Amino acid sequence: MRPLTEEESKTVFTKLANYIGKNLIHLVDRKDEPYCFRLHRDKVYYVSESSMRLSISVARPNLVSLGTCFGKFSKTGKFKLHITALDHIAQYAKYKVWIKANGEMPFLYGNHVLKAHLGRITEDTPEHQGVVVFNMSDVPLGFGVTSRSTIDTRKLDPTAIIVFHQADVGEYLRDEETLF
Amino acid sequence: MDVSNLLASHAAKFQSVTVEKETPLDVDAGFLTVTDLNPIDEESYRSNLEEYLQSTARDGTQALIAALYALPTQLSPDGPLAQLPPPTTALPRAKPLPKPKAPTKWELFAAAKGIQKQHREKKIWDEEKQEWVNRWGRDGKNKEKEEQWINEVKANAAVDFDPVQATRNARKARVAKNERQKLQNIARSQAVREERSERKIEIERTLASTRTSTASMGRFDKKLEGDKKMRGVKRKFDPTEASAEQEKQASLALLSKLDGEAKRRSKDTGGDNVLNVRKAIRSVSRGKGGVALGRDAGRGGAKGKRGGKR
Repeated sequence: MRPLTEEESKTVFTKLANYIGKNLIHLVDRKDEPYCFRLHRDKVYYVSESSMRLSISVARPNLVSLGTCFGKFSKTGKFKLHITALDHIAQYAKYKVWIKANGEMPFLYGNHVLKAHLGRITEDTPEHQGVVVFNMSDVPLGFGVTSRSTIDTRKLDPTAIIVFHQADVGEYLRDEETLF
Repeated sequence: MDVSNLLASHAAKFQSVTVEKETPLDVDAGFLTVTDLNPIDEESYRSNLEEYLQSTARDGTQALIAALYALPTQLSPDGPLAQLPPPTTALPRAKPLPKPKAPTKWELFAAAKGIQKQHREKKIWDEEKQEWVNRWGRDGKNKEKEEQWINEVKANAAVDFDPVQATRNARKARVAKNERQKLQNIARSQAVREERSERKIEIERTLASTRTSTASMGRFDKKLEGDKKMRGVKRKFDPTEASAEQEKQASLALLSKLDGEAKRRSKDTGGDNVLNVRKAIRSVSRGKGGVALGRDAGRGGAKGKRGGKR
Protein backbone atom coordinates (compact mmCIF):
# COMPACT_ATOMS: atom_id res chain seq x y z
CA MET A 1 0.00 0.00 0.00
CA ARG A 2 1.37 3.40 -0.97
CA PRO A 3 0.14 6.86 -1.91
CA LEU A 4 -0.27 7.58 -5.60
CA THR A 5 2.49 9.30 -7.48
CA GLU A 6 1.66 12.59 -9.16
CA GLU A 7 1.33 10.91 -12.54
CA GLU A 8 -1.05 8.29 -11.15
CA SER A 9 -3.11 10.89 -9.28
CA LYS A 10 -3.45 12.82 -12.50
CA THR A 11 -4.76 9.75 -14.34
CA VAL A 12 -7.24 8.94 -11.58
CA PHE A 13 -8.45 12.51 -11.23
CA THR A 14 -8.98 13.04 -14.95
CA LYS A 15 -10.99 9.83 -15.11
CA LEU A 16 -13.11 10.80 -12.12
CA ALA A 17 -13.55 14.36 -13.38
CA ASN A 18 -15.14 12.91 -16.51
CA TYR A 19 -18.08 11.86 -14.32
CA ILE A 20 -18.25 14.35 -11.47
CA GLY A 21 -16.37 17.36 -12.84
CA LYS A 22 -15.40 19.93 -10.25
CA ASN A 23 -17.23 18.03 -7.50
CA LEU A 24 -14.02 16.01 -7.29
CA ILE A 25 -12.89 18.58 -4.74
CA HIS A 26 -15.57 17.27 -2.38
CA LEU A 27 -13.99 13.82 -2.52
CA VAL A 28 -10.51 15.15 -1.81
CA ASP A 29 -11.46 17.79 0.73
CA ARG A 30 -14.12 16.19 2.90
CA LYS A 31 -15.83 17.96 5.76
CA ASP A 32 -16.41 14.91 7.99
CA GLU A 33 -13.11 13.04 7.97
CA PRO A 34 -9.87 13.22 6.01
CA TYR A 35 -9.87 10.71 3.16
CA CYS A 36 -7.02 9.71 0.89
CA PHE A 37 -6.25 7.59 -2.15
CA ARG A 38 -4.01 4.56 -1.75
CA LEU A 39 -2.58 2.14 -4.27
CA HIS A 40 -2.34 -1.53 -3.37
CA ARG A 41 -1.56 -4.20 -5.98
CA ASP A 42 -2.52 -1.92 -8.89
CA LYS A 43 -5.89 -1.12 -7.29
CA VAL A 44 -6.76 2.34 -6.09
CA TYR A 45 -8.58 2.58 -2.81
CA TYR A 46 -10.42 5.57 -1.38
CA VAL A 47 -9.99 5.24 2.34
CA SER A 48 -10.41 7.31 5.49
CA GLU A 49 -7.23 8.35 7.20
CA SER A 50 -8.04 6.39 10.37
CA SER A 51 -8.49 3.06 8.58
CA MET A 52 -5.49 3.81 6.38
CA ARG A 53 -3.39 4.18 9.52
CA LEU A 54 -4.75 0.91 10.89
CA SER A 55 -3.95 -0.93 7.68
CA ILE A 56 -0.35 0.32 7.67
CA SER A 57 0.38 -2.39 10.22
CA VAL A 58 -0.89 -5.16 7.93
CA ALA A 59 1.80 -6.78 5.80
CA ARG A 60 1.44 -6.38 2.05
CA PRO A 61 0.73 -10.05 1.25
CA ASN A 62 -1.89 -10.19 4.01
CA LEU A 63 -3.75 -7.04 3.05
CA VAL A 64 -6.69 -8.01 0.84
CA SER A 65 -8.57 -4.75 0.62
CA LEU A 66 -9.17 -1.47 2.43
CA GLY A 67 -11.70 1.32 2.19
CA THR A 68 -13.55 1.55 -1.12
CA CYS A 69 -11.91 0.23 -4.26
CA PHE A 70 -12.24 2.93 -6.93
CA GLY A 71 -10.68 1.03 -9.78
CA LYS A 72 -7.44 -0.39 -11.03
CA PHE A 73 -4.49 0.52 -13.17
CA SER A 74 -4.00 -1.59 -16.26
CA LYS A 75 -0.54 -2.77 -17.21
CA THR A 76 -0.30 0.08 -19.73
CA GLY A 77 -0.95 2.65 -17.00
CA LYS A 78 -4.58 3.41 -17.87
CA PHE A 79 -7.09 3.67 -15.05
CA LYS A 80 -10.32 1.67 -15.12
CA LEU A 81 -13.14 2.62 -12.78
CA HIS A 82 -14.84 -0.20 -10.92
CA ILE A 83 -18.52 -0.38 -10.08
CA THR A 84 -17.56 -0.16 -6.39
CA ALA A 85 -16.91 3.56 -6.91
CA LEU A 86 -20.54 4.06 -7.95
CA ASP A 87 -21.77 5.32 -4.57
CA HIS A 88 -19.26 8.15 -4.51
CA ILE A 89 -19.69 9.00 -8.17
CA ALA A 90 -23.51 8.89 -8.13
CA GLN A 91 -23.89 11.45 -5.35
CA TYR A 92 -21.75 14.02 -7.16
CA ALA A 93 -22.59 13.13 -10.77
CA LYS A 94 -22.85 16.08 -13.12
CA TYR A 95 -24.73 14.35 -15.95
CA LYS A 96 -27.29 11.63 -15.36
CA VAL A 97 -29.34 9.22 -17.41
CA TRP A 98 -32.53 7.58 -16.16
CA ILE A 99 -33.63 4.35 -17.83
CA LYS A 100 -37.09 2.83 -17.97
CA ALA A 101 -38.01 -0.36 -16.10
CA ASN A 102 -37.88 -2.46 -19.30
CA GLY A 103 -34.27 -1.30 -19.90
CA GLU A 104 -32.99 -2.08 -16.44
CA MET A 105 -32.29 -5.78 -16.88
CA PRO A 106 -30.51 -5.48 -20.24
CA PHE A 107 -28.25 -2.81 -18.75
CA LEU A 108 -27.56 -4.88 -15.65
CA TYR A 109 -26.45 -7.76 -17.86
CA GLY A 110 -23.77 -5.55 -19.38
CA ASN A 111 -25.51 -4.16 -22.49
CA HIS A 112 -25.45 -0.59 -23.73
CA VAL A 113 -28.41 1.71 -23.14
CA LEU A 114 -30.66 2.01 -26.20
CA LYS A 115 -32.78 4.97 -27.05
CA ALA A 116 -35.90 2.90 -26.53
CA HIS A 117 -34.93 2.37 -22.89
CA LEU A 118 -34.05 5.98 -22.22
CA GLY A 119 -36.38 7.56 -19.67
CA ARG A 120 -34.75 10.90 -18.99
CA ILE A 121 -31.40 12.55 -19.59
CA THR A 122 -29.76 15.67 -18.18
CA GLU A 123 -30.17 18.67 -20.47
CA ASP A 124 -27.13 19.77 -22.46
CA THR A 125 -25.18 16.55 -22.00
CA PRO A 126 -22.33 16.63 -24.50
CA GLU A 127 -21.21 13.57 -26.46
CA HIS A 128 -18.57 11.22 -25.03
CA GLN A 129 -19.39 12.46 -21.54
CA GLY A 130 -19.27 10.19 -18.51
CA VAL A 131 -22.77 9.74 -17.10
CA VAL A 132 -24.28 7.84 -14.20
CA VAL A 133 -27.20 5.57 -15.06
CA PHE A 134 -30.19 5.53 -12.69
CA ASN A 135 -33.47 3.66 -12.82
CA MET A 136 -36.69 5.68 -12.69
CA SER A 137 -36.82 5.48 -8.86
CA ASP A 138 -33.39 7.15 -8.66
CA VAL A 139 -31.36 4.07 -7.72
CA PRO A 140 -27.88 4.22 -9.32
CA LEU A 141 -27.31 1.20 -11.57
CA GLY A 142 -23.96 1.96 -13.15
CA PHE A 143 -22.14 4.36 -15.37
CA GLY A 144 -21.21 4.80 -18.97
CA VAL A 145 -20.29 7.26 -21.70
CA THR A 146 -22.79 9.06 -23.94
CA SER A 147 -22.55 8.37 -27.66
CA ARG A 148 -24.37 11.56 -28.71
CA SER A 149 -25.21 14.87 -27.13
CA THR A 150 -28.73 15.36 -25.78
CA ILE A 151 -29.81 17.39 -28.82
CA ASP A 152 -28.54 14.80 -31.27
CA THR A 153 -30.42 11.96 -29.57
CA ARG A 154 -33.77 13.37 -30.68
CA LYS A 155 -33.15 12.44 -34.28
CA LEU A 156 -32.03 8.87 -33.59
CA ASP A 157 -34.08 5.72 -34.10
CA PRO A 158 -35.13 3.68 -31.03
CA THR A 159 -32.50 0.96 -31.46
CA ALA A 160 -29.57 3.38 -31.49
CA ILE A 161 -27.13 3.26 -28.58
CA ILE A 162 -27.30 6.33 -26.33
CA VAL A 163 -24.93 5.35 -23.51
CA PHE A 164 -22.01 2.99 -23.88
CA HIS A 165 -21.91 0.61 -20.95
CA GLN A 166 -18.88 0.84 -18.69
CA ALA A 167 -19.90 -0.68 -15.37
CA ASP A 168 -23.13 -1.84 -13.77
CA VAL A 169 -24.12 -3.27 -10.41
CA GLY A 170 -24.50 -6.70 -12.01
CA GLU A 171 -20.72 -6.92 -11.84
CA TYR A 172 -20.99 -7.49 -8.11
CA LEU A 173 -22.18 -10.99 -9.09
CA ARG A 174 -20.34 -11.44 -12.40
CA ASP A 175 -16.87 -10.21 -11.41
CA GLU A 176 -17.00 -10.90 -7.71
CA GLU A 177 -13.50 -12.39 -7.51
CA THR A 178 -11.63 -9.56 -9.22
CA LEU A 179 -13.68 -6.56 -8.17
CA PHE A 180 -12.38 -5.59 -4.75
CA MET B 1 45.50 18.96 77.63
CA ASP B 2 46.60 16.65 74.86
CA VAL B 3 45.45 17.80 71.45
CA SER B 4 47.49 15.34 69.44
CA ASN B 5 44.59 12.89 69.49
CA LEU B 6 42.19 15.50 68.24
CA LEU B 7 44.61 16.56 65.54
CA ALA B 8 45.12 12.98 64.46
CA SER B 9 41.39 12.30 64.20
CA HIS B 10 40.95 15.59 62.32
CA ALA B 11 43.73 14.62 59.92
CA ALA B 12 42.19 11.16 59.43
CA LYS B 13 38.95 12.81 58.38
CA PHE B 14 40.66 14.85 55.67
CA GLN B 15 43.31 12.34 54.76
CA SER B 16 41.37 11.17 51.75
CA VAL B 17 41.48 14.63 50.18
CA THR B 18 45.04 14.08 49.03
CA VAL B 19 45.59 11.33 46.50
CA GLU B 20 48.84 9.40 46.78
CA LYS B 21 49.70 7.06 43.94
CA GLU B 22 52.85 5.36 42.77
CA THR B 23 52.71 7.11 39.44
CA PRO B 24 51.07 10.53 39.89
CA LEU B 25 47.73 10.95 38.09
CA ASP B 26 47.78 12.80 34.80
CA VAL B 27 45.24 15.64 35.11
CA ASP B 28 44.21 17.61 32.04
CA ALA B 29 41.97 20.32 33.47
CA GLY B 30 41.27 21.78 30.01
CA PHE B 31 39.35 18.64 29.00
CA LEU B 32 38.30 17.87 32.61
CA THR B 33 40.10 14.55 32.18
CA VAL B 34 42.18 12.43 34.53
CA THR B 35 44.28 9.52 33.30
CA ASP B 36 45.38 6.89 35.78
CA LEU B 37 48.60 5.33 34.48
CA ASN B 38 49.13 3.02 37.46
CA PRO B 39 49.07 -0.71 36.78
CA ILE B 40 45.97 -2.55 38.05
CA ASP B 41 46.33 -4.13 41.44
CA GLU B 42 45.38 -7.66 40.42
CA GLU B 43 44.59 -8.98 43.89
CA SER B 44 42.00 -6.37 44.80
CA TYR B 45 40.74 -6.36 41.21
CA ARG B 46 39.92 -10.07 41.41
CA SER B 47 38.60 -10.10 44.96
CA ASN B 48 36.20 -7.14 44.77
CA LEU B 49 35.91 -5.60 41.33
CA GLU B 50 33.18 -3.07 42.15
CA GLU B 51 34.97 -1.66 45.14
CA TYR B 52 38.26 -1.44 43.29
CA LEU B 53 36.69 0.42 40.35
CA GLN B 54 34.89 2.77 42.71
CA SER B 55 38.04 3.60 44.63
CA THR B 56 39.98 4.22 41.40
CA ALA B 57 37.21 6.46 40.10
CA ARG B 58 36.99 8.32 43.39
CA ASP B 59 40.75 8.97 43.43
CA GLY B 60 40.62 10.28 39.89
CA THR B 61 37.65 12.54 40.61
CA GLN B 62 39.29 13.77 43.79
CA ALA B 63 42.46 14.64 41.91
CA LEU B 64 40.46 16.46 39.23
CA ILE B 65 38.44 18.47 41.75
CA ALA B 66 41.59 19.36 43.67
CA ALA B 67 43.14 20.56 40.41
CA LEU B 68 40.03 22.61 39.64
CA TYR B 69 40.16 24.32 43.04
CA ALA B 70 43.77 25.21 42.43
CA LEU B 71 42.82 27.11 39.26
CA PRO B 72 42.24 30.91 39.21
CA THR B 73 38.55 31.75 39.57
CA GLN B 74 36.25 34.38 38.20
CA LEU B 75 33.18 35.68 39.99
CA SER B 76 29.83 35.24 38.32
CA PRO B 77 26.15 35.52 39.42
CA ASP B 78 26.07 31.69 39.72
CA GLY B 79 29.14 31.61 41.98
CA PRO B 80 32.84 31.44 41.25
CA LEU B 81 33.88 29.87 37.93
CA ALA B 82 37.25 28.18 37.50
CA GLN B 83 39.12 29.37 34.42
CA LEU B 84 40.24 26.27 32.58
CA PRO B 85 43.72 26.23 31.06
CA PRO B 86 44.09 25.17 27.41
CA PRO B 87 44.01 21.36 27.12
CA THR B 88 47.31 19.52 27.01
CA THR B 89 46.09 16.21 25.57
CA ALA B 90 46.50 16.00 21.81
CA LEU B 91 43.36 14.61 20.16
CA PRO B 92 43.42 12.94 16.74
CA ARG B 93 42.00 15.18 13.99
CA ALA B 94 38.38 14.59 12.98
CA LYS B 95 38.83 15.20 9.25
CA PRO B 96 41.30 13.44 6.97
CA LEU B 97 44.42 15.31 5.96
CA PRO B 98 43.87 17.70 3.07
CA LYS B 99 44.92 16.32 -0.30
CA PRO B 100 48.18 17.78 -1.63
CA LYS B 101 47.71 20.50 -4.22
CA ALA B 102 48.35 19.58 -7.83
CA PRO B 103 51.77 20.97 -8.91
CA THR B 104 51.73 24.01 -11.17
CA LYS B 105 53.37 23.97 -14.56
CA TRP B 106 56.37 25.86 -13.18
CA GLU B 107 56.72 23.46 -10.25
CA LEU B 108 56.76 20.51 -12.66
CA PHE B 109 59.38 22.23 -14.80
CA ALA B 110 61.46 23.18 -11.78
CA ALA B 111 61.34 19.61 -10.47
CA ALA B 112 62.43 18.27 -13.87
CA LYS B 113 65.32 20.73 -14.10
CA GLY B 114 66.25 20.42 -10.45
CA ILE B 115 65.65 24.10 -9.72
CA GLN B 116 65.55 24.82 -6.02
CA LYS B 117 62.96 27.21 -4.74
CA GLN B 118 64.54 30.38 -3.39
CA HIS B 119 62.91 32.53 -0.79
CA ARG B 120 62.31 36.01 -2.12
CA GLU B 121 62.22 38.72 0.51
CA LYS B 122 59.25 41.03 0.30
CA LYS B 123 61.46 44.03 1.08
CA ILE B 124 64.29 45.13 -1.14
CA TRP B 125 67.19 47.54 -0.42
CA ASP B 126 66.95 50.85 -2.20
CA GLU B 127 70.45 52.33 -2.76
CA GLU B 128 69.20 55.82 -3.52
CA LYS B 129 66.77 56.13 -0.62
CA GLN B 130 69.08 54.12 1.64
CA GLU B 131 66.20 52.14 3.15
CA TRP B 132 64.18 48.91 2.73
CA VAL B 133 61.23 49.34 0.33
CA ASN B 134 58.50 46.98 -0.86
CA ARG B 135 59.35 44.84 -3.88
CA TRP B 136 55.77 45.38 -5.09
CA GLY B 137 52.57 46.96 -3.76
CA ARG B 138 52.46 50.36 -2.08
CA ASP B 139 55.51 52.43 -3.10
CA GLY B 140 56.87 49.26 -4.66
CA LYS B 141 60.23 49.05 -6.34
CA ASN B 142 58.55 47.69 -9.48
CA LYS B 143 56.83 51.06 -9.97
CA GLU B 144 60.08 52.99 -9.73
CA LYS B 145 60.35 53.61 -13.49
CA GLU B 146 56.80 54.92 -13.64
CA GLU B 147 57.22 57.40 -10.86
CA GLN B 148 60.62 58.93 -11.61
CA TRP B 149 60.50 62.52 -12.77
CA ILE B 150 62.65 62.08 -15.88
CA ASN B 151 62.80 59.22 -18.42
CA GLU B 152 65.24 58.19 -21.04
CA VAL B 153 63.74 57.95 -24.54
CA LYS B 154 65.46 56.32 -27.49
CA ALA B 155 66.24 58.54 -30.40
CA ASN B 156 64.19 56.50 -32.85
CA ALA B 157 61.08 56.45 -30.63
CA ALA B 158 57.73 57.42 -32.07
CA VAL B 159 56.51 60.98 -31.67
CA ASP B 160 53.67 60.07 -29.27
CA PHE B 161 55.79 57.59 -27.26
CA ASP B 162 54.96 57.86 -23.57
CA PRO B 163 57.70 56.09 -21.54
CA VAL B 164 55.66 56.12 -18.28
CA GLN B 165 52.64 54.61 -20.01
CA ALA B 166 54.81 52.00 -21.73
CA THR B 167 56.40 50.74 -18.51
CA ARG B 168 53.03 50.77 -16.80
CA ASN B 169 51.50 48.74 -19.64
CA ALA B 170 54.37 46.25 -19.44
CA ARG B 171 53.84 45.83 -15.68
CA LYS B 172 50.08 45.38 -16.10
CA ALA B 173 50.70 42.82 -18.85
CA ARG B 174 52.97 40.84 -16.48
CA VAL B 175 50.24 40.82 -13.83
CA ALA B 176 47.65 39.72 -16.37
CA LYS B 177 49.92 36.96 -17.65
CA ASN B 178 50.45 35.68 -14.12
CA GLU B 179 46.71 35.67 -13.49
CA ARG B 180 46.12 33.78 -16.72
CA GLN B 181 48.73 31.21 -15.84
CA LYS B 182 47.20 30.80 -12.38
CA LEU B 183 43.78 30.10 -13.90
CA GLN B 184 45.33 27.66 -16.35
CA ASN B 185 47.00 25.82 -13.48
CA ILE B 186 43.66 25.58 -11.61
CA ALA B 187 41.89 24.36 -14.74
CA ARG B 188 44.62 21.77 -15.37
CA SER B 189 44.39 20.38 -11.83
CA GLN B 190 40.58 20.14 -12.03
CA ALA B 191 40.65 18.56 -15.47
CA VAL B 192 42.75 15.70 -14.14
CA ARG B 193 40.24 15.00 -11.42
CA GLU B 194 37.18 15.28 -13.69
CA GLU B 195 38.75 13.08 -16.32
CA ARG B 196 39.34 10.34 -13.77
CA SER B 197 35.80 10.39 -12.36
CA GLU B 198 34.31 10.51 -15.85
CA ARG B 199 36.42 7.59 -16.91
CA LYS B 200 35.28 5.63 -13.87
CA ILE B 201 31.62 6.27 -14.63
CA GLU B 202 32.16 5.30 -18.24
CA ILE B 203 33.88 2.05 -17.29
CA GLU B 204 31.08 1.17 -14.88
CA ARG B 205 28.48 1.84 -17.54
CA THR B 206 30.32 -0.27 -20.10
CA LEU B 207 30.68 -3.09 -17.61
CA ALA B 208 26.97 -2.97 -16.79
CA SER B 209 25.98 -3.12 -20.45
CA THR B 210 28.37 -5.98 -21.22
CA ARG B 211 26.99 -7.97 -18.34
CA THR B 212 23.47 -7.77 -19.75
CA SER B 213 24.52 -8.23 -23.36
CA THR B 214 24.39 -12.01 -23.47
CA ALA B 215 21.62 -14.24 -24.79
CA SER B 216 20.11 -14.64 -21.33
CA MET B 217 20.52 -10.93 -20.49
CA GLY B 218 23.21 -11.89 -17.98
CA ARG B 219 20.95 -14.22 -16.10
CA PHE B 220 22.75 -17.56 -16.58
CA ASP B 221 26.28 -16.22 -16.92
CA LYS B 222 29.20 -17.52 -14.92
CA LYS B 223 29.72 -15.22 -12.00
CA LEU B 224 33.22 -13.95 -11.49
CA GLU B 225 34.65 -13.74 -8.03
CA GLY B 226 34.10 -10.31 -6.50
CA ASP B 227 31.38 -9.45 -9.01
CA LYS B 228 28.97 -7.08 -7.41
CA LYS B 229 25.25 -7.49 -7.88
CA MET B 230 23.94 -5.03 -10.42
CA ARG B 231 21.47 -2.55 -9.12
CA GLY B 232 19.06 -0.56 -11.18
CA VAL B 233 17.47 2.75 -10.32
CA LYS B 234 15.20 2.35 -7.35
CA ARG B 235 11.69 3.78 -7.52
CA LYS B 236 10.86 6.23 -4.78
CA PHE B 237 7.39 6.81 -3.40
CA ASP B 238 5.99 9.12 -0.79
CA PRO B 239 5.77 7.62 2.68
CA THR B 240 2.45 5.90 3.42
CA GLU B 241 2.21 7.42 6.88
CA ALA B 242 2.47 11.07 5.83
CA SER B 243 -0.24 13.35 7.19
CA ALA B 244 -3.52 13.34 5.26
CA GLU B 245 -3.61 17.14 5.41
CA GLN B 246 -0.37 17.36 3.45
CA GLU B 247 -1.67 14.87 0.90
CA LYS B 248 -4.91 16.81 0.56
CA GLN B 249 -3.01 20.00 -0.22
CA ALA B 250 -0.99 18.20 -2.89
CA SER B 251 -4.17 16.75 -4.43
CA LEU B 252 -5.92 20.13 -4.43
CA ALA B 253 -2.90 21.72 -6.09
CA LEU B 254 -2.96 19.00 -8.74
CA LEU B 255 -6.71 19.51 -9.26
CA SER B 256 -6.32 23.24 -9.75
CA LYS B 257 -3.53 22.53 -12.22
CA LEU B 258 -5.75 20.12 -14.16
CA ASP B 259 -8.57 22.67 -14.04
CA GLY B 260 -6.33 25.33 -15.52
CA GLU B 261 -5.26 22.98 -18.28
CA ALA B 262 -8.87 22.16 -19.14
CA LYS B 263 -9.75 25.85 -19.26
CA ARG B 264 -6.85 26.58 -21.59
CA ARG B 265 -7.89 23.73 -23.87
CA SER B 266 -11.51 24.94 -24.05
CA LYS B 267 -10.25 28.44 -24.87
CA ASP B 268 -8.18 27.01 -27.71
CA THR B 269 -11.12 25.20 -29.25
CA GLY B 270 -13.20 28.31 -28.71
CA GLY B 271 -16.14 27.40 -26.51
CA ASP B 272 -17.29 25.39 -23.52
CA ASN B 273 -17.52 21.63 -23.64
CA VAL B 274 -21.32 21.63 -24.05
CA LEU B 275 -21.11 22.80 -27.65
CA ASN B 276 -18.77 20.96 -29.98
CA VAL B 277 -17.67 23.92 -32.07
CA ARG B 278 -15.86 21.87 -34.67
CA LYS B 279 -18.91 19.73 -35.27
CA ALA B 280 -21.25 22.73 -35.25
CA ILE B 281 -19.25 24.46 -37.95
CA ARG B 282 -19.18 21.29 -40.02
CA SER B 283 -22.92 20.90 -39.66
CA VAL B 284 -23.83 24.51 -40.47
CA SER B 285 -21.42 24.85 -43.38
CA ARG B 286 -22.53 21.46 -44.73
CA GLY B 287 -19.04 20.05 -44.54
CA LYS B 288 -17.26 22.91 -46.32
CA GLY B 289 -15.50 24.27 -43.26
CA GLY B 290 -15.30 27.53 -41.34
CA VAL B 291 -13.71 29.57 -44.16
CA ALA B 292 -16.55 28.80 -46.58
CA LEU B 293 -19.06 29.65 -43.87
CA GLY B 294 -17.47 33.05 -43.31
CA ARG B 295 -17.49 33.77 -47.05
CA ASP B 296 -21.17 32.86 -47.31
CA ALA B 297 -22.03 35.03 -44.32
CA GLY B 298 -20.19 37.96 -45.96
CA ARG B 299 -22.24 37.56 -49.13
CA GLY B 300 -25.52 37.60 -47.19
CA GLY B 301 -26.86 35.08 -44.73
CA ALA B 302 -29.45 33.50 -47.03
CA LYS B 303 -27.48 30.35 -47.75
CA GLY B 304 -26.47 29.82 -44.17
CA LYS B 305 -30.06 30.15 -43.04
CA ARG B 306 -31.28 27.58 -45.50
CA GLY B 307 -28.47 25.26 -44.44
CA GLY B 308 -29.54 25.55 -40.82
CA LYS B 309 -33.09 24.43 -41.62
CA ARG B 310 -31.93 21.22 -43.22
